[in-house]
This record gives sequence, C-alpha cells and structure tokens, in this order.
Amino acid sequence: MTAYTREVARRLFAQEFRESNLSFKDGNDQYSPQYLFTPTGAKVNRMFIVGTLTEKEDIGSDSEYWRGRVSDPTGSFFIYAGQYQPEAAQVLSECDVPEFIAIVGKPSTYTTPEGEIRKSIRPESIYIVDAETRDLWVLDTAKATLERLKDLSTSNPDALRAKEHYKTETKHYASMVVRALKSLQENY
Amino acid sequence: MNTIVTDIKAKFKELGVDIPAEKIEERLEKLIVQFKVPKEEAKRSVINFFLKEHGISKDQFYDAMGETGISKIADIFEVGKWFNLKAKVVQLWENSNPSIFQVGLIGDETGTIKFISWEAAGLPALEEGNTYLFKKVVVSEWNGKVEINLNKSSSIEQIPNDIQVQIRTKGVVPLVKVADISEDGIWVDLKGKIVQLWENSNPSISQVGLIGDETGTIKFIKWVSAEIPTDLVEGKNYLFKNAVTNEWNGKLEITLNRSSSIEEIADEIEVSTKDIVMTGAMIDIQSGSGLIKRCRECNRSLTKGACAEHGKVEGVYDLRLKAVLDTGTITQDILLKREITEKISGITLDNAIAMAADALDQSVVVETMKQKLLGKYYTVSGSRVDRYILVESIKKESFLEPKLIQELIKEAEAL
Repeated sequence: MTAYTREVARRLFAQEFRESNLSFKDGNDQYSPQYLFTPTGAKVNRMFIVGTLTEKEDIGSDSEYWRGRVSDPTGSFFIYAGQYQPEAAQVLSECDVPEFIAIVGKPSTYTTPEGEIRKSIRPESIYIVDAETRDLWVLDTAKATLERLKDLSTSNPDALRAKEHYKTETKHYASMVVRALKSLQENY
Repeated sequence: MNTIVTDIKAKFKELGVDIPAEKIEERLEKLIVQFKVPKEEAKRSVINFFLKEHGISKDQFYDAMGETGISKIADIFEVGKWFNLKAKVVQLWENSNPSIFQVGLIGDETGTIKFISWEAAGLPALEEGNTYLFKKVVVSEWNGKVEINLNKSSSIEQIPNDIQVQIRTKGVVPLVKVADISEDGIWVDLKGKIVQLWENSNPSISQVGLIGDETGTIKFIKWVSAEIPTDLVEGKNYLFKNAVTNEWNGKLEITLNRSSSIEEIADEIEVSTKDIVMTGAMIDIQSGSGLIKRCRECNRSLTKGACAEHGKVEGVYDLRLKAVLDTGTITQDILLKREITEKISGITLDNAIAMAADALDQSVVVETMKQKLLGKYYTVSGSRVDRYILVESIKKESFLEPKLIQELIKEAEAL
C-alpha cells in the first residue's frame, strides 16, 4: 500500500533550516523520497516559505541559473532555480527586489569540499504575495515550530531521533520563535 | 454452561446413549464452580466419566465425533487447533491461487468463517448451499482473521441440510461505518444511502458512485462480474453485504464482487454533511482548472474538446478550480465550482471567456487565477466528497490576531 500521496509542505524558519544537517532517504529504491530532518523533528521533503526576496542573481554560464536570497525574521534561505524549474526561474528573472514571495520547494543539501553542508531550496513554484501573507506565514511557522518543540518532550519517534542527532535545546528554538513572533508585534 | 451440557447430551445421543441433562450438569457444575476447572477441561472430564460409565471406548466416541466433538464456528478462535464442524457452504469465492482448490465461506447457527480447501488435500468439491460434516480441519490466522483449512488429514461428508446459517457474525464480516474503513482488502458489510451514481464508461463496471452514512461517504464499485441483479438508485438505502475495501490511487473504495450481495433496506440513513473547515496555504492549482468546457450530454469536463463518453462535442463553458490546500501537517485537494471560483478570483465566466478570446488561449484564465491566488492563506469550509473538499465558502486570510501572537509568545517563553 505505497500509493502516491502528496508530500505535505512543512513550515520552518530559516534558522532551523540552516542548522539542519541530517538528510536521508525513506526506503531503498531510487524513487524513495529524500528528507531533511530538522533539529525540532520536522521531516521535510517539501516546504512552504514566505519571505522577502532580498537579492537575486543569474549565476548561470550558458543557460539562466537564478540564485535568490529570501529572508524571514530568523535568517535567510537560498533558492536556486534553473532550466529544470522553468516557472520558478521565470518568476525570479521577472520580479522586483525586494518583493514578498511564497515558495513551494524541496530542500537540497550540498557538501562542500571542506565538509560543510550547504542547504538551499529548489523551488517547484514561486508566487508573488503580499505583506499580510508574509505575516501569516510567520505566525503559521511559529505555531508549527512550537508544536514540534512541545513534541520533543514526548516519545514521538521523530522527537527521539531529533534529540539523539542534534541534542536539541528546546530553549534555543523557543527563543527563535519568540523573536519571530515579536517581530510581528512591531508592525502594530 | 448450558450449551456444554446440551452439547455433551447430543453427542451421547448420537451414540445411542441418553444421559439425563441434570446428571451432566451436576458433574460439570461441580468441576467448574467448586473446583475451578476450566470449562474445556471440565467438559472433557465429564465426557470421559460417562464414556467409562457406559462402556464406550474413547476411540469409538472420538471416531464418531473426532477428538474435539463437533464445534461451533463461534467457538473457533484458537489458531492451530483441530476441529470438526457441521456447516453449510454459504459462498464459494473466485480463486486464482493454483494451490487453492476452493475458497469461500461456511456457516452454522453461530456464525460464518472463511475456509480454504487446499489443492494438496485432494478433497471432493464442495457445493454452495450444501451442508457437510468437516472433520479434522485446522484453524489458522491470516491478516488478523481466523480461517479454517482443509488439508490432507481432513475429510468431508455431505449430510442432510438442517442448518440455519447465522450470517451476521462476530469478526468475520463486520458491519462497519464509512469512517471505520481505513485499510484495504477487508471484507465488510455496510449500510448506507446512495449519494451519487456516476457516469460509467467502463464495460466491466456495472455501477459506480458514492455511498454514505452518518460518518462520511465512500466510492463504491459494483463489478459486472459480481452478477448482482439489484440496480442501485440514488437516494435509496441499501445494505452491502460482503463487500471488500480496496485502495486505488491512494484512496479507499469498496467493491462488490461475486460474493457480495445488496439488499434494499427500509432504514433512512442520514448521510454526513458535516462541514469541514480548514485553513491553509493554497500551494497548487491543478490541470483542469480555470476556464473549461463541459459536455452538454453528461456535464463531464472535456479534454482537448472531447468527452470521454460522447467523443468530440461542442461543449459549454464553465469555471472551476481544483486546488491543493496545505496546512503544514496535511495536504488537501479542494474543488471550487463556478460561483465560488468567480468570487475568489474576481473573474466571472463572461470575463473569462472574453480573456480567452483576446489571448486566443484558454489557459490565460487559469494563469491569471494562479497569480492571484497561489501562495496565500485561505479558510475553506465545505463537505468532503471522495478525495476533495467541495468548497461552499472560501475566505482569504488577512488578519493577525494580536492576542493570539501574545499567547504564542507566552507559550514559547514558558518552554
């Protein structure tokens, strides 16, 4: 019964994304989904982020290859879109900077020759959104992160795995959530 | 205890020995009540006592009855145990496994159970509706359910048909609610109302549609090969017996096959119209959205100007959205019909037709809708139909509750 089910788009802040370094395949064949496993125990095959596109650059040589930097209240995400993500690449090439954008994409990891693991997002789609949507995303992501943090004290297998691999300090991520939420209050 | 008494009495009677029930009961009660002997052991002990008293050898007794006498289906639960059964063949199922000679359902007054007559057993064929004495059959468990196996040591003997089969049984084919259906390959009985009958162009399907009860709705398929004479009618209530759950494209459905039957029932079943409310980000709009054409005959949406049923047809324009709402923990397909699509996209059907005419391209409509709607948060409410939420209202989220932010901060600070 391994029928295809659409992977849920997880919510996580840039800081947690940057601090993630465990990725694995769920299964053995080439079609098994790849997951990034985060310090609060999110198992991420697809993610949804909304933030501010602060930089964009075409770094491709023969064909267009766009790199964008998207910031949220806790840090920034890097997104890369080329010929295999034509719609996303087109949005990046046409949109202004800065701009609020929403991205649905897959986490991708790359290990540098120095052994450093670089995380980025390979967007499936990018949409231009409004400031309200960005705030709603921060709230949504804060809530989702809080739920995972609360789960960390349970015997949920993902929680156990997160604690084992990352020795996650709840306070570290709780204060990240507080920071993100407080940034929303500044708007009022 | 009474059943044990009558059981013992009946067995001895078959050997021509009449033992007064009181005498059996007296001994049995003493063993069970006073000496706390387990029932089975007490029964065995009582039988042996009377065997000795009447000079019947154990071989004689157990040859006639088998080692355990004749059991009732309701008592069968112990895997690996040998039984004798007097039962009627209720159904013979289709069988494609070459090592299985026959498979189906047998029943007695206490229930029904699946049986397998293995090819290797070399037993004669059983016929539906006939009653047999099954000797030395063994119980096994498969997929969490017990079944009996007819193998080389087993024997069958046709006997006069005097069994009233109890079809409703414990555990064999449970009567379930739609919401309970969560696994494929399970035999179920289901009482429900036919919510919809769908257009069907598959020659091997007799009828297909949605059946619902107070807990939800589920797709059903009645195969032509099932040879079920009942023609289901929308809005009527039925009992589906011996239907099988099946997973198809990640969704569960129930199928009616040769072993299944349908009864129209008098009960009026309230189908759940429970509204589902969900807030999430709209992360995809799928093909078949925007400006579409429908077949005049059957209202089905056209693919490249052709109806799956009626071929190339003129078609009438319509608007709809098939979208994906993602909450961060679940992803849900939602379906918006024309009025809802017009409202949330701000594009009326007439606008859409004009846009398409201007651009000489129908897809301009869905592209415009995508740019306006995707990546944003919505709250939808509606009813669940198949894998979709059929949206009755949709609202774009735009307001952040300051109190909620405050509460979440408190919660995070307390961690």
